[in-house]
Amino acid sequence: MTFRRLAMPLTFALALAALIVALPRPARAFGDVGAFDPRVLLVGGVTGAAHASAPARWSWELVQRTSAPGRLKPTQVRADDPSVVDAPFLWLSGDRSLNVFTPQEVSGLRKFFALGGILLVDDAGVSDDGGPSAFGRSAREQIARVLPDTSPIALGPDHVIFKTFYLLRRAEGRVAGPKTLDAIVRGGQVQVVFSSHDLGGALARGATGAWENPVIPGGDVQRERAIRLAVNIAMYTLCSNYKDDQVHAPFLMRRRALPVGP
Amino acid sequence: MHERLAVNGDLPLWATVLACALAALSLGVLLASELRRRERGGPLIVATGLLAVVGLLAAVARPVRIAARESVIGAKVIVLADTSRSMALPQNGTSPRTVVRDAAIGEITKKAKEARLHVLGFGDGAPVPLGESKGVTTPSPPSAPRSDLTSALRALAASAEERPQAIVVVSDGRLDDPGEDASREQLQALGRDLKVPIHTVATTAVSPPDASVRRVAAAGAAVAHVPLPLKVEVGCAGGLSCDELTVTARELREDGPPALLATGLSHLKDGKGTVDLAVTLDRAGARILEIAITPPGGDTIPENDRRLLTFNVARERVRVLHVAGRPTSDVRALRQWLKSDASVDVVAFFILRTQSDTPNARQEDLSLIPFPVDELFTEHLPSFDAVVLQDFDAQPYGLERHLPQLARYVKAGGGLIMVGGQNSFVAGGYANTPLAEVLPVTLDGSPGATAADVANVTPAWTDDGRAAPLLSPLHDIVGEELPQMPGANVLGEVRPGGLVLWAHPTRTTKSGAPMPILAIGDQGDGRSIALGLDGAWQLEFSQLGARTSGRGYGALWDGLLGWLMRDPRFEPGQLELVAPCVADTRTLLRVRLPSASAPKDGPGDAKSKDMILEVRRLDKQGEAPVRVEVPKRTPGSSSAVEIALPPLAAGGYTARLKLGAGPTTRRDFACESGGDEWADSRPDRERLRALASATGGSFHDATDDLTLPLPKPAVVSAERHVVPLAPPWAWTLAAAVALGIHWFARRRSGLS
Repeated sequence: MTFRRLAMPLTFALALAALIVALPRPARAFGDVGAFDPRVLLVGGVTGAAHASAPARWSWELVQRTSAPGRLKPTQVRADDPSVVDAPFLWLSGDRSLNVFTPQEVSGLRKFFALGGILLVDDAGVSDDGGPSAFGRSAREQIARVLPDTSPIALGPDHVIFKTFYLLRRAEGRVAGPKTLDAIVRGGQVQVVFSSHDLGGALARGATGAWENPVIPGGDVQRERAIRLAVNIAMYTLCSNYKDDQVHAPFLMRRRALPVGP
Repeated sequence: MHERLAVNGDLPLWATVLACALAALSLGVLLASELRRRERGGPLIVATGLLAVVGLLAAVARPVRIAARESVIGAKVIVLADTSRSMALPQNGTSPRTVVRDAAIGEITKKAKEARLHVLGFGDGAPVPLGESKGVTTPSPPSAPRSDLTSALRALAASAEERPQAIVVVSDGRLDDPGEDASREQLQALGRDLKVPIHTVATTAVSPPDASVRRVAAAGAAVAHVPLPLKVEVGCAGGLSCDELTVTARELREDGPPALLATGLSHLKDGKGTVDLAVTLDRAGARILEIAITPPGGDTIPENDRRLLTFNVARERVRVLHVAGRPTSDVRALRQWLKSDASVDVVAFFILRTQSDTPNARQEDLSLIPFPVDELFTEHLPSFDAVVLQDFDAQPYGLERHLPQLARYVKAGGGLIMVGGQNSFVAGGYANTPLAEVLPVTLDGSPGATAADVANVTPAWTDDGRAAPLLSPLHDIVGEELPQMPGANVLGEVRPGGLVLWAHPTRTTKSGAPMPILAIGDQGDGRSIALGLDGAWQLEFSQLGARTSGRGYGALWDGLLGWLMRDPRFEPGQLELVAPCVADTRTLLRVRLPSASAPKDGPGDAKSKDMILEVRRLDKQGEAPVRVEVPKRTPGSSSAVEIALPPLAAGGYTARLKLGAGPTTRRDFACESGGDEWADSRPDRERLRALASATGGSFHDATDDLTLPLPKPAVVSAERHVVPLAPPWAWTLAAAVALGIHWFARRRSGLS
């Protein structure tokens, strides 16, 4: 009887404690202006993130796993809005073909890139075997209009983006897709990352706590690696090529030689 | 008035000679033929013939009488007296060498009465009349920093004045140029331009008992953190017994006693030895090195037992340690700027994971490495020119125990920038620590102190910020506009000697002054900066950043790091020595104020600030500093002003120019008693002997008979009258009459 009387408040207290522990830590003192913000780019007819819950989940995972601050309520911005230059990261995702960018959108994105900003183009409509969707193809065409003097190259596991926090051997998302990421590199810095893996699909998690999309073919293990890639991209945004510094080289070489984790 | 006869001036010499030759030939023929005939009338014919020849010769020469007033002018002889400081060395342990020099010049003057003697002093550059130096009358002690005979002779050769006909050099022979190893051809070349002999007089024959540091040569330029090889030449002379000498190299520092950098033992052979030392100077700029020996007993010249040398230490690259407590956009911006500058060598450590983070991976799957806090802040700290602590909490990572060392590093000349964030300043646990003492602002260490003001803030430029050269490039780009930033760290009062460049627009300190947001200050030998923001990156990523192409962020950090590294572009003023400092003589320091500090009628301008020059002894830090007030500038006045310092004793000094209450500009310099000129006290008679021999001159000791083989004087006519003895027609008539008589005499004698 006593146990029954105590069970309810105890359960409530435990649930409250768990909730408090699970609460994301707020960025103290200075707000979250300098935190990682996976800003959703609205351009070419895109009206929001392909997976609406993915940006917040991305920040949440970053905050839980690393010391980096992240915006738990990510923003979105139009390419032709002057505030497109207010932060160094943009995320463009979709599964439909993009409209041709307007001159104002092209101009806004050029200003963003001129300041050194980074854009992630995530193909949410990618086929299960990694074949690009109409979104992926049209995004490359439109970005080529914005940055006509460059073309994407493949980033393999030797690139710093695969070791900014986790040591990764390949790129993965909701689908396994190609092992590499494509990127436009300007002045030694990655400025546009093309993912044919639907990273947002792997990150999306509903209000009930359930993952929104199945990850194929690797299931939860592949989802974990997709989250790690997302964390690495965020860390690349915040730390640039920090892990390419010579001081890290001997450690990373030793760890690369160890067996692969999950 | 002297009188003499001469042939007419219109007759060339050859014609005169030809006429005389023909006359002599005619007379010879006449005498030979008439004396051989022995007939009647022979003597008459000879006499009239002689008369006729003389008459003809006179008709050709038409003699004149010259009356002239003449004077004898002695040859111009230049006596070059050595005025270098080596002539102040004692002669025979008592009077200086200049006494012998002046006595020798007096003796030469007395003996060479027929010559016109010009006594000049040579030392550095063109010779000047003895007793004057570059137009300024100097006291009798020799003061030239060099003994450059070559330059003096070249200046004489290039002079438009009357060329000398002989040179007399009076010296101890310890010349800088020509050097000890000059060849005979090089010595000959010295007299070639003037085409005159160079006579030499040696003032000194005997070396004083002396052990000294004779020469210090560096292999290349001094670069911070790079070992600099030094070759130190030492010597013993004058009968001193020394088989080996201990040589030490120490750096004179403002923050403490001299630091021993290297030591070595030199084994001497024939009174001479060398030792190789390698010194590493960690701080860039003018640094004072003391190279000293431990002299043996009997050393009579202690002034040259140590040399004080100023090394201008350059930076190959600025080594920056960048430590960040967590990755943020501000960290990203600073890292990218540091990495984009090829002159910056950045070593970065970012805390990517805290104890409370759950990466959900094995350690082997992470790219994280341990933060080597002990190694960094003990062993490697001196190798960095600047340390940037950005949003870094000192407590969890063990930095707290290294804060005293970090504070000492700053006071010893290092640079420190603390950049704001939620883990900086008060929130990072720095209040009431030794590091807080070297920040330009105070930190509130009381329990429950407010660490941050979370309200959005747009920093306000202060008057000092607008006038500061380090923010001038940023101000040129953004003007008064700064982006709104997400809060600021709560900082306290600016410390004495600090300067607030940006302030909070509304928040104040306890004293009621606007709260500093960006402040700079001197800390001992080093400098520190407090930037209580983590939103400076918005100078790059913002609409202001887009309008200015993001250049504002680079301009801000270029100025901050440049000021920390004492880049002359960002100094409030510049100091330089007009000439090398010589102990116990007047020293001139030139003060330059850059255009950014020029009078602009604003309260932050140099015009309105008191400028004090403070000179402090480095090797005797207990001595009171010398303070000199710098005259305030007026609009239109020169940007440079020369300040005369009182005579300084031999030693190392640091001069600081204080503009108002803000940070100072400094310049370290050394003052030596003898310097290079006293480094080798031995006279060098052989060099003087070789010089005289190579140029056709003669060598003498000052104690010899100083009757020199000088050129003969020249005779010059001041007044001249030429009067013909008879008019030309009279000579012609006389010659015709004489010829007629001769013809008549010959006819009477039956000759044709």
